[in-house]
Amino acid sequence: LPMAFRDVSARRHIGLQQLSSLALAGRTLLGPMKSCKFIVDEDTNQSTLICSAFRLIESLDLTSAAGQLLNETIQAQNKEFKTGMSTLLFLVGAWSNAVLECLQQDVPISAIVSVMSEGLNSCCEEVQCLQIPIHDVNQELCSSTARPNAFQSKTCQVGCDSLLHPEIFLYVQKDVSAPEKVVPINSCSHQDDNCNFNKHLVSSLAGFGSIASLVKPAGDKSASVVSGSGVITSSCNKNKLTYSRYFNTVGKSCFSSQQGNFQGYFSGQSADPCECYGSGHLAMALSHGDQTSMKLLQSIVTYQQKRAECSGSSQFNIAEIVTCCLLGLPESYSCVSPGFVTLVSPEQAAVIKYFEEKPLQILLMDGDLTEQYRHLGFNRPCNVRTILEGPSLQEGRAGDLWLSSSLDILTSFEVNLVLVKGNVCENLMERCIANSILVIGCVTRDVLCAFGEVTGAQPVTYLTQLNASCVGSGAQVELWEARDGRAMDLGELVPVRIKVRGLSLLTAVLTTTVASKMQLIEDQFWTAAYRLHHALNDGKVFLGGGAVELLCLSHIQVLAEQPVQPANKNALKEFCDRWRAASVTEYKSVVLQALASGWKRYLSAVMCNTAKAASELEACTSIGHHLKKAADYGSPSAYILKEFRRGDLLRGGSGPFADHEEGLKVFDNVTAKTEAWRRALDLVLLVLQTDAEIITGPKRNQLLNSHGSSEFMFL
Amino acid sequence: MSRLEAKKPPLFISEPLTKAAVSQSLSLLNGILKSCYGPTGRLKQLHNCVGGYVCTTSQSLAIFSCLSVSHPVLRILVASVQNHISRFSDCGLFTAILCCSLIENFKSLNVASCTVIKISKHLLSLSMDYLKSEACGCRVSVDFSSVESLCCLVRSVLTSKPACMLNKTEVDHLTMLILKAFMFTVPCHVESTAVLGRCIVVPVKGRRVMDSTVLPGLLIEAPEIQWAKPLTVKRTSSNMIKIALFCVSMAGDCFSPEEGTIAVHHRISLEMSELNQLLNVGRQLVNDEVGLVVCQKVIHPFLKQFLKENHITAVDRTGLSLMEPLSWMTGSKPIASIHSLSPSCYGSLKDVCIERFASKYFVHLIPNDTVVCSLVLCNRNETAWDELKRACETAEHVLQLTIKEPLALLGGGCTETHLASYIRHKSSSLSNSSFKDIDCSRTQYQLVADGFCRSLESVACSLKHDDGEILTDVVYGHCWFVPSGFPSVSNWADLVSTCGCGINDNTENLNWRLLQGQFGSPVIQGCPEEPSGKVANLKTLDCFAAKCSGLQVALETANLILDLSYVIEDQN
Repeated sequence: LPMAFRDVSARRHIGLQQLSSLALAGRTLLGPMKSCKFIVDEDTNQSTLICSAFRLIESLDLTSAAGQLLNETIQAQNKEFKTGMSTLLFLVGAWSNAVLECLQQDVPISAIVSVMSEGLNSCCEEVQCLQIPIHDVNQELCSSTARPNAFQSKTCQVGCDSLLHPEIFLYVQKDVSAPEKVVPINSCSHQDDNCNFNKHLVSSLAGFGSIASLVKPAGDKSASVVSGSGVITSSCNKNKLTYSRYFNTVGKSCFSSQQGNFQGYFSGQSADPCECYGSGHLAMALSHGDQTSMKLLQSIVTYQQKRAECSGSSQFNIAEIVTCCLLGLPESYSCVSPGFVTLVSPEQAAVIKYFEEKPLQILLMDGDLTEQYRHLGFNRPCNVRTILEGPSLQEGRAGDLWLSSSLDILTSFEVNLVLVKGNVCENLMERCIANSILVIGCVTRDVLCAFGEVTGAQPVTYLTQLNASCVGSGAQVELWEARDGRAMDLGELVPVRIKVRGLSLLTAVLTTTVASKMQLIEDQFWTAAYRLHHALNDGKVFLGGGAVELLCLSHIQVLAEQPVQPANKNALKEFCDRWRAASVTEYKSVVLQALASGWKRYLSAVMCNTAKAASELEACTSIGHHLKKAADYGSPSAYILKEFRRGDLLRGGSGPFADHEEGLKVFDNVTAKTEAWRRALDLVLLVLQTDAEIITGPKRNQLLNSHGSSEFMFL
Repeated sequence: MSRLEAKKPPLFISEPLTKAAVSQSLSLLNGILKSCYGPTGRLKQLHNCVGGYVCTTSQSLAIFSCLSVSHPVLRILVASVQNHISRFSDCGLFTAILCCSLIENFKSLNVASCTVIKISKHLLSLSMDYLKSEACGCRVSVDFSSVESLCCLVRSVLTSKPACMLNKTEVDHLTMLILKAFMFTVPCHVESTAVLGRCIVVPVKGRRVMDSTVLPGLLIEAPEIQWAKPLTVKRTSSNMIKIALFCVSMAGDCFSPEEGTIAVHHRISLEMSELNQLLNVGRQLVNDEVGLVVCQKVIHPFLKQFLKENHITAVDRTGLSLMEPLSWMTGSKPIASIHSLSPSCYGSLKDVCIERFASKYFVHLIPNDTVVCSLVLCNRNETAWDELKRACETAEHVLQLTIKEPLALLGGGCTETHLASYIRHKSSSLSNSSFKDIDCSRTQYQLVADGFCRSLESVACSLKHDDGEILTDVVYGHCWFVPSGFPSVSNWADLVSTCGCGINDNTENLNWRLLQGQFGSPVIQGCPEEPSGKVANLKTLDCFAAKCSGLQVALETANLILDLSYVIEDQN
């Protein structure tokens, strides 16, 4: 009934302070050199090892409203990207602090909100020139190895020129035997440090997918033309990179006649040592030093590429990856196994030796396999009474009836292998083992789907539904073995591998001997996998290693110095998009500095964590040094690009690792990063604009009696 | 045996408005609502203090729905504002703030409440007559042949909800989507009475706002449909898809949840007989060439399998809210029993396909002639999504109200200040006979009119949340904002750029003065003129119907509360 009301707005905004203190805990989780944390529950004395912002926030007790919103934001980022949560958490803290400082200086809230959000927008647009189309990444990575570049050729100039035209042409020659003459236009980017050119390049590549569908002859009479605006518009919306670096599904129909040629062309390319990895190379650049996950991903990419050559499905499909965690093997045993690897009990594993090599009949069940289980939405009648007319002797208990009939069904259809989405009745499991039927529970929907596709099995909910068309065939089960055939003495559970000819599933088998690291390793693997997935989906990546943040800082300097008043009133109007925030001009530079301080702190934290700088002060000096040089260079983005190629970006110089990182180039996800920024700023501004909490529910008396009751007002 | 307790006598509270507790609560409520008002309004976090969902909002709909007030006087106020919101969606805060201000202003007058009520009713009729007259200087007519003013209406709704966390591009994108969705709901062929269709909001949380989109027809979330890829739906000879729509559960559970017991012989399985009944339905659907079966509740997996084997697509668990638009769109009658199936119940569709947004799979039903559409709405997090959904629904409702009455009022506080200056002018020029009709003196009338005008102006003032000044001009009576940090100089023209609604700028000298000059007597001025600026400059527009109703509701509720002389509380 009651409603309490607490005023939170003050110069010292409580919500922002809460955000800032929560975010402080995640400081060491930033960057490639993360420090793990133990979180100890004082009540149960249990502890967990965490190494990501997502797990950190998950393990904290967040009762305050701001904490809850932070949790929601991190969860949302995790659900969508699986990466960028630490960045998000850190920036929430840094920007909260910066905004608190603005409040101290009496900057009106509306000015903070409008300048910061417009400033972020402007930065996000600016950093677009540090985006690299993924098919340029390989060259970017290889250019440092001074490898003679096969793509540099006389026709390059043509390609470059054509970039300046609004339309994008992709030059493809039919004569695939001469790769020197083939110029994918984007390969030119690294040859030219001119920023203007890069900007052109990037802006014209904004719809990456459209390149693929537009093919123009390069003056060669044998080439065929596929072009047309209709193609572009239809392919712009959903482009998913398939098979090659250049062609996508939507466009495929347009040049299906040429398919063969392209295939030849690309397999020809794989002779090039730097090309052979394809997205494996990209995976390395995105792994940020996580060796284990990178190697797993590279072998996944290799498998999927091989498969793609046969089937033409996409190059990297994250839905076809599952993980299996094996505790008790050294970490070096982590590997990728084609098929579905899962853990079963030793009794179940014993069934496998009866199967030997023979192909099995497989059944998929999309519910529980128990007698009591009913499909979702089925309400048990509560008012039905069963009448027995007399004691029936020949029939046993009802439970036994179900068991035997279930078993009868399974045996009559000669099912050997049952994959169940939910739980499995233990008694039935025992009976099945006795009858050499392997039943595996808790299998996810995606796995069931994959098996359904390739075996022809149709998932059923009840065994009584079963008919011959539901049962699939061709599955094989074997005990999973490590590379060296080392015995799997993992205690209670045994890994088995289920494979079917043509099955797209790949299992990343993750091993460790330290139980508390298991979760961490799995998280890291998925983070790396999703980074690659998003990079391919975006079709482009950011230069990593702080390049993007550095450009934001230098862009903000430009913005802050820009006279907005009479010179260009339109820009001002744009800038003060929030209705009637006219006071913006006065506070602009203060607020922009606040925005910049977020990235500045981010960079210095990364530099400190990676020991590139000994202290925050040193890091800031180094950043300031770079900013000045960038400003002097004329075009900051060109400077950053140059430094990035030299591998000099934000290298403290004094750090012990300075020599080791020669030539190691890092890339970041585009959308995940900018979204993390946006989400972080949105959260800070949302909390900033909040001036009161309204507490609902039956807690009035508790609040009245609590020592903080003076904070509340009651209606 | 328990003892009977004597009934307590009811508690009489006389003159409730004079009690300090009531006026305190009232001013607290007014303060909360004022702080929420407008595009720079402050947000409120609604939560239960034990963790879990936090609603961040500045919308009256959300605040009032969880606001539980203890005093009857406040309850009257909240109830009437809620009633206004349920009918018009928009202008809830306007109504509530105006009502609170009116009560506060009228209460402080030394005039008998019955006289105040009479006078204020007269003032209301003056205002309404003015707003509805052609001469009204604060309204514009909405031209449906161009999108300009429609966009402006929608944008005003969206930008006035800061918790949606939209930037300019996102506001523009959503504005176009909402307009597009609205256009879909307008029927192409109108007979005698036109009925607008429906726009269904499909939630896709966690995505960027720019990923939002509008599709004609309906989207039904169907996680299992990925089993069925690629989707092929059986068509009739006329190349249509016949659809059967069930609102009864087809889960195969027993149908009599009421009291009483059924005695069943142990060899008979109710489940099996129920299932057989379902399969009979299935057979009839096959015979009738149905291509798509949609069920509000659950379909038994057995029946699903049967339908699939016969190439019928089945979609279940659509939920109650989709049933009405589904039956409307397909022309089918929801089937409420699995025992009798009349072929006349079936509807038809042009096409069915699978759509995927984020990680969700949807079945997309495409009708022949669409008045139903789906707005796939994305926003980055839950609290901002909820706020955005309410804002979009409000905008949709505003467009519906506007098509009925193609008028809009100037936003940004200009309507309030303009109306106030009109009433000031009008009340000073009333003839003596009208006072006689109302049975009051000129002074009394002037006092009440001044209270009324100040209440209106205080709503306009609530748009300002940071430091700064609010001005009004003597010529048009519009509302002008001066940002903080400037010295209070006499030459306002240097500080103001455009008025609240954006139609006037500072090129002509409009003789500005401070709006809240409550210390001095208000300037008696001429009748405010119609703005001379271009309508294209308009920044904000308010919904005509919603604001007019808000004005009426606020005044009538204030009158009702002023008229209260006793509160009788049952203490048992």
